[in-house]
Amino acid sequence: MRIYRPVTMCFAALLALALSVDDAAAQKRGGTLVMLVQPEPPTLASYLSTSGPIGQVTSKIYDGLLEYDFGLKPIPGLAESWKASPDGKTITFTLQKGVKFHDGKPFTSADVKFSILEVLKKLHPRGPATFRELIDIDTPGAHTAVFKLSGPAPYLLMALSGYESPMLPKHLFEGTDIKASKYANAPVGTGPFKFVEWQRGQFMRLDRNPDYWKKDRPYLDRIVARFIADSATRTAAMEKGEVHVGGFAAIPWPDVKTLGKLPTIETTTKGYEMSSPIVELDFNTRRAPFDNLKIRQAVSYAINRKAVIENVWFGWGKPATGPISSNFAPVGFYTAEVRNYNVPDGVATANKMLDEAGFKRGAGNTRFEIVHDLTPYGEEWQRYGEYVQQVLAEIGIKVTLRYEDVATWLKRLYTDYDFQLTSNWIQGLADPVIGVHRLYHSKQIRPGTVFVNESGWSSPRTDQLMDQASVELDPKKRAALYQEFQKLVVEAAPIVWVHELQFVTVYNKQLKDLIVSPLGLYASFDRVYVDK
Amino acid sequence: MRAGAGRASYVLRRLLQAVPVIVAIIVLNFLLLHLAPGDAAQVLAGEAGSASPEYMAQLRHRFGLDRPVAVQLLLYVKNMLTLDLGFSFRHNMPVVELIAGRLGPTLLLMLTTLVLSVTAGIGLGLLAAARAGNWRDTLISILALVSYATPLFWVGLMLIVVFSLKLDWLPTSGMETVAAFHEGWARVLDIARHLVLPALTLSLFYMALYVRLMRAAMLEQAGMDYVTTARAKGLGESRIMLSHVLRNAVLPVVTMAGVQVGSLLGGSVVVESVFAWPGLGLLAFQSLFARDFNLLLGIFFMSACLVVAVNLAVDVVYTLLDPRIHA
Repeated sequence: MRIYRPVTMCFAALLALALSVDDAAAQKRGGTLVMLVQPEPPTLASYLSTSGPIGQVTSKIYDGLLEYDFGLKPIPGLAESWKASPDGKTITFTLQKGVKFHDGKPFTSADVKFSILEVLKKLHPRGPATFRELIDIDTPGAHTAVFKLSGPAPYLLMALSGYESPMLPKHLFEGTDIKASKYANAPVGTGPFKFVEWQRGQFMRLDRNPDYWKKDRPYLDRIVARFIADSATRTAAMEKGEVHVGGFAAIPWPDVKTLGKLPTIETTTKGYEMSSPIVELDFNTRRAPFDNLKIRQAVSYAINRKAVIENVWFGWGKPATGPISSNFAPVGFYTAEVRNYNVPDGVATANKMLDEAGFKRGAGNTRFEIVHDLTPYGEEWQRYGEYVQQVLAEIGIKVTLRYEDVATWLKRLYTDYDFQLTSNWIQGLADPVIGVHRLYHSKQIRPGTVFVNESGWSSPRTDQLMDQASVELDPKKRAALYQEFQKLVVEAAPIVWVHELQFVTVYNKQLKDLIVSPLGLYASFDRVYVDK
Repeated sequence: MRAGAGRASYVLRRLLQAVPVIVAIIVLNFLLLHLAPGDAAQVLAGEAGSASPEYMAQLRHRFGLDRPVAVQLLLYVKNMLTLDLGFSFRHNMPVVELIAGRLGPTLLLMLTTLVLSVTAGIGLGLLAAARAGNWRDTLISILALVSYATPLFWVGLMLIVVFSLKLDWLPTSGMETVAAFHEGWARVLDIARHLVLPALTLSLFYMALYVRLMRAAMLEQAGMDYVTTARAKGLGESRIMLSHVLRNAVLPVVTMAGVQVGSLLGGSVVVESVFAWPGLGLLAFQSLFARDFNLLLGIFFMSACLVVAVNLAVDVVYTLLDPRIHA
């Protein structure tokens, strides 16, 4: 009986087809990429929702004005060049010529103006904050868009990728109820791949855009996103070659190393530099016992970051030192010159601290009791919670674990503020203004809004530093502001920064040029090809 | 014929009785669902990442969640009676379309499992009872016990490891080979290959039940007077077993199978999850966490109808199997 290999059959069939086309680029043409997207996206409206899996698909369909290199510098996307005025209040973008949407209509500056002012600035979860300084966009020509700002916004240029700020077709959205558009789940963009179908519970299919504005690209014929609910089955499918790419923890941590040892599979931690998630423990600083600085610091000392990385995340991760990820080191924002909680004798230090502060151990050797909420996303969070319970018992804090589903947990944390300690992970994103400020600024204490400041901590000085850094155009001065910010925040410890989460992308070795930017799987895959 | 007419009016009567039952089920489910904290707007906002209070208020208004529960309930029941199952805001599709899309794969898996488990159950139970106490009986009973006791997800994963990864005979998951986009008979064959492992996993569990039930029922019947009479009349053992005892022993198995159909819809969540089979079980499970009440209630409604229909069918089958039972 012939062994059934869908991957090889597919590649072989398309190889025969591809050989009929001449040119060096033809060597790269062909192939269907099957990627794991976990969980299944609720919608494809990336302009309404920043839920992780959505971006993995929509970034292939929608383009952005800019793309980025591994130095975290912007490079041309739909904008072939741009120029900012010295005072930073005007940015002129010159757009690529001859770009068409998937329905054949041309892409012009009117689409840029509409996408940003009417859609992203009003409806995108991060849009109102990202485009806060943007007053208007002038369109003196079909290929020129001039951004008019009320003040400098150095972070704005980092937020213009196809993932964060997709360019939408004005002619399909204008005059309709954008929140209920039928193009939400049948997107039309300018990207290298066109949306074809979505079989709910099974897969999404994207076909190659033959009229893509980058010559000869994309190389792939088709991208298919598969949804597999069970983590062990995902690993099996990857091992068998039924899927070729899985990232953002789609492959469970314990299986990553095992799969990496196979001759057909490769793993990489590159491609998450614009995501920069940090695993945290968030205190509710407005409630006992964590309204007390010494107690917070003691907990921060007690957590053994290495132990968490080795035992819960199977070695994937890097100890975190503060609110800003070390991924920002190339641009100077990151500093390690802060109070160091990652000491070898953490538990002893914590105990000493609590004893000196006068918190005696009472009945059962306990100083106080708390309830610890667990992030309801998966297995590793439960293990993490169990670890926290164990280590806090060593410093005399009795922990009861509480596990609820996502909707309940979000309401408890971000609306009711009915918690004492919770685990969490927050992305730093492309710039601290977008990802970091939301956790520490006093204006970000907004009941009902998720993934913002729920610890309730803020200080006038750090507010001031953040506000100054948002408008400071000189990178050196900006770096200095953030360094002072980090020193102060780490000292106040409203959050325990445990480790910088390292996502791993597991992929089939036949795929080349898969991760070509810090956006990783959130890039458009226009350069990916199958090495036959 | 009088019997036929009697049966027809019986069926009609039962169907009419079913309507208030189903409505009561829906009302109960509706109230139970609303006991869960959080709502669809919160889930969507949470997934979207930092939605403002105004946005969530807008969402709630669009979903009709800002009205009092009693009003929502009345509106829902009214719509349901016209078979308008509502709109799933999470998936941005009418509930009927969503369910219709997943109904096919669910029925396929369900019916295959039913046929497989009932036939295997009856067959093995027969074999076991034919020579009770001998090595064949012991072997079958042990097999049944082990199948019943082993968790479904483990069985499923082990089958994948053995038949898909090690032997490479079958695909790991899904309903079809997505990258290939087969048409026509190639597609039918492809789906059939994908159906093997999930159907096998689910069948093993239910088969265990039917084996033990069949065996017990056969042994009970074999001790009855009519069997002794038949033997005295000179009928052969196999003819007694297959033509007389079997028909009587099968009744409890049919009852059980009817009850199981209802649970097959929900019990397959595990199998659907492990094998990424696009069925209703997994859809219901995921919609609970998404607080997509319209979709959930739609699935419950369909389940309720199905269970009522199957119970009716079982009762009718009874009258066919045993002429002593009248409609």
